[in-house]
Amino acid sequence: MSNNWEMVIGLEVHAQLNTSSKLFSSSPNQFGSEPNENVNFIDSGMPGMLPVMNFACIEMAIKTGFALNFNINKYSVFERKNYFYPDLPQGYQISQFEFPILTEGFINIDNEGNQKKIRIERAHLEQDAGKSIHDIDPKFSFIDLNRVGTPLLEIVSYPDLSSAEEVVSYMSSLRQVLMYIDVCDGNMQEGSLRADVNLSVRKKGGELGTRCEIKNLNSFKFIRQAIEYEFKRQIDVIESGGKIEQNTMLFDTSTGETRAMRSKEFSHDYRYFPDPDLLPVNLTQDQIDKVKTSVGELPQAKLDKFIKDYNVDKDIAKIITVEKQNAILFEKMISETDVKPKFIAAWLVGDIFAFIKENNLEVSSLNEKTKEITDLLKLVSDDVISNKAGKEILPKVLNGQGKPSDIVKELGLEQVSDSGELEKIIDEALIGEEENISKFQGGSDRVLGYFVGKCLKATKGKGNPKLINKILLERLKK
Amino acid sequence: MSDIDIKRISYLAKLKLPHEKEEFYANSLKDIIKWVDNLKMIDTSETEPLHNVTEKTVSIRKDEINKSNSVDDVLSNAPERAQNFFKVPKVVE
Amino acid sequence: MKSSISQIKDSLRDKKISVEELYDEFLIKAKSSKTNSFNLLLDKENNILSIKESQKRYENGNPLPLDGIPLGIKDLFCTKGIRTTASSKILSNFTPNYESFVTQKLLDDGSIFIGKNNCDEFAMGSSNETSFFGPVKNPWKNKNVPTDDLVPGGSSGGSAAAVAEGTCVASMGTDTGGSIRQPASLCGIVGLKPTFGSCSRWGIVAFASSLDQAGPLTNSVEDAALILNSINKHDFNDTTSSNHVREDYSIGINDKLDQKIKIGIPSDYLKDVSGDILSQIENTKKALIKHNVEFVDVEFKTTEYALSTYYILAPAEASSNLARYDGIRYGVREEGKSLDDIYLNSRTKGFGDEVTRRILIGAYVLSAGYYDAYYRQAQKVRRLIKDDFQRIFNDVDFILTPTTPNEAFKIGDKLDPISMYKNDIYTVPTSLAGLPGISIPSGLSTNGLPLGIQFIGNYFEEKKLLQIAALAEKELNFNEQ
Repeated sequence: MSNNWEMVIGLEVHAQLNTSSKLFSSSPNQFGSEPNENVNFIDSGMPGMLPVMNFACIEMAIKTGFALNFNINKYSVFERKNYFYPDLPQGYQISQFEFPILTEGFINIDNEGNQKKIRIERAHLEQDAGKSIHDIDPKFSFIDLNRVGTPLLEIVSYPDLSSAEEVVSYMSSLRQVLMYIDVCDGNMQEGSLRADVNLSVRKKGGELGTRCEIKNLNSFKFIRQAIEYEFKRQIDVIESGGKIEQNTMLFDTSTGETRAMRSKEFSHDYRYFPDPDLLPVNLTQDQIDKVKTSVGELPQAKLDKFIKDYNVDKDIAKIITVEKQNAILFEKMISETDVKPKFIAAWLVGDIFAFIKENNLEVSSLNEKTKEITDLLKLVSDDVISNKAGKEILPKVLNGQGKPSDIVKELGLEQVSDSGELEKIIDEALIGEEENISKFQGGSDRVLGYFVGKCLKATKGKGNPKLINKILLERLKK
Repeated sequence: MSDIDIKRISYLAKLKLPHEKEEFYANSLKDIIKWVDNLKMIDTSETEPLHNVTEKTVSIRKDEINKSNSVDDVLSNAPERAQNFFKVPKVVE
Repeated sequence: MKSSISQIKDSLRDKKISVEELYDEFLIKAKSSKTNSFNLLLDKENNILSIKESQKRYENGNPLPLDGIPLGIKDLFCTKGIRTTASSKILSNFTPNYESFVTQKLLDDGSIFIGKNNCDEFAMGSSNETSFFGPVKNPWKNKNVPTDDLVPGGSSGGSAAAVAEGTCVASMGTDTGGSIRQPASLCGIVGLKPTFGSCSRWGIVAFASSLDQAGPLTNSVEDAALILNSINKHDFNDTTSSNHVREDYSIGINDKLDQKIKIGIPSDYLKDVSGDILSQIENTKKALIKHNVEFVDVEFKTTEYALSTYYILAPAEASSNLARYDGIRYGVREEGKSLDDIYLNSRTKGFGDEVTRRILIGAYVLSAGYYDAYYRQAQKVRRLIKDDFQRIFNDVDFILTPTTPNEAFKIGDKLDPISMYKNDIYTVPTSLAGLPGISIPSGLSTNGLPLGIQFIGNYFEEKKLLQIAALAEKELNFNEQ
């Protein structure tokens, strides 16, 4: 396989909106309920039923418009996309076609240090379909309509993506933004966020090839695998003299291969037309402005703020901003203490996250303990106790075993930070160490560690290691 | 006016016209399309399409759940059901 | 002479007859009718609770507005617990678990449903010949060929025939391109299509969503007003339902007109009409001129395009509205080896010829490559038609037209679809514009068959419209002809 092939990818991401009720019916918008539990007559497409729009879905679309730099179109139209499938009771999906609510947005992705702007062509609202279960019985399929009518925001990128990694980066950035603004819960296992990948190949600098669409990928792992496989497949076809047929593909997660869906006799013709049961959406500037105030700070802005204003390391800041609840916890702690944010950040991504992971907690569950945590961090940062002591006490504090200052007293963990006292100990420790002293003065740094250790032992571990280090150095240099 | 591709149209409409009736319907369609073709003579370049006669609506829902029927209400007319699922022959994709 | 709703209520109030006796009377007549105007009749047992409660209210002196009145309901309205078929095979076994908004209002006002009226399948037709349950016969006969069975018109042919033959006091129908007004005209009764958005479409089997409207078929204009009072209400669950303030349509219906009325008669509508039709218009003019009504000639610019526009838009919407009928979740499912087979067999066998035809037209005009030339163009012309009416309404209060271009014809006579579609020529433009229209019987043809005239009003002016119709009804005195 020659090396001058490149892939051209566009992504269609379907995000389920976080509303209580569905887009056009007041059935519950919930995952995991009993079959057909959340289905009313509208959802099941019974005769004479009519849709009524849920305005919260419009508001979420507007929010997304702000968060992803879109033009928010005041006028948009719901249209019917007509096709037959057992999980589509009406025989059409209510979607938006000619006049979508959002157009021309973008998001910046960071792919291993390289910033790239991914342009997004449009985003529109549409109904989700139901679910068919094919693998319980060899002869029958079973249909659950719970998901019918769940509101989706379909986000369609331009084909600006050129690698599997970029695709994953794009999708996780989208996911992050949508979760930040509370529009989608980002739960890919539950199907809250799904992607269709449109992939074509071309020689570098050559013309665009025919694309194939790989549908319904719901994990980053599968997205990567599907892209790698499809890239190779298309190149193989072309290099062996064949032509790429425009196909809709499914990704087989067990074999890691893409395959074309059963070919239809005639191509799809969705016969879009404006839904006569609904009126066009006509937003006022007031309605749009009102939503703007609820958007909140976006992940990129938070990241920049943490790095620039709080002096937090880029990598650590990324970890903190990756999920909104991390950032919320962090910002709450900062607001409750004068301990430097950089200090807090290090502890957060280190010992605090470790504790959370070990104990299977939600990050947000620590929001009620921030006072105790920051009190503890202040004790460490003020050198009242050592770093090591702090790490020892942290789990106790998080387990609600008492206030930090109490625990410190109880366990007798206050550091000895009195220079006078330490000087005495150090001078004592240096007695009889002429050999090692000359080793140090000859350039051996290891000896310093030996002396620090000896002094710490002499203080029964309570000596302030930094201060010991400092005083030792002064003494040794003489 | 091109010939009516009756096979394609009936495919889109999920209808399987009996072979002997295909020509009947194709001709019917041809006649009707020819009859309505007089619309092509009107200049509508300055006219917006009329989507709705109703101009305003108050039918905009708050995001509230309202469950007003049982699962059985939805399944009671099903030709074939299995517990609370609709049952159909296996679908192969 | 058939009794009006008011007269019946008086008899019930005065204990001249009981609610149960009244029901029995109508049911017996309905059971012995040969017109096939009902798909389903409800035995007294089905309604016994409502009958008893209605009787109680009369005895307590506080009857509801339509208390005890036996009504027919077109089999297009979903009636809870009562089979609703749309006169189609595919729904022939369907019993909805919900009540349509309009029929619920009728029940709330105390009326009692005697049965579901036959109609054209999925409301597609102008002669009630497409029903899965067989054609409906017009109770009227051509006096020169009395053995011929004639069509009652459609699609609400069953409703019109039932009201005309007296097997219900009134019937609830639907009108998409004339389906209330045209059969009313052919059966010699009153039929009202309210302004689009007046009456909720929730629970009515949808044919063409931007055109369908529920409306009454009655023996008198006043009866139509009383029923309109009941059903003309805003419904939040129908996004196209209008939120305007409604009035009482029956109060003052027989009052003298308090101002000079100007009525336009479209000259292009009267080109090439028969002498019979022309005399209906002439007689109406004569009848109303003495009441301070001025008649002027008006001219539409869009008449020749209305039918084409309708026969593109209505089938297009229908093709999508009927996609839900697939035998999967309800309705008649045909056998099939695969799921696709079930779809194909259920739909193909479940729909009749006319429905199939319209679904095909609809799929065609919406399909890629044809959408702009047909569907989009038709939507633009629809706006031109709407504007055309508004231009004319700048000058006149009402428009007067014949309702139908012909009298009732023989069942089986019009096999060609296009000649059938042309029945709607006077009613379709009103539907496209969404305006209210009422047909009242104006006279008999030379064959002794009823003919109707149509008054068209401006948006939401049903009160005025009913007034002028009531006046014309009084002056034309059809029932004495």
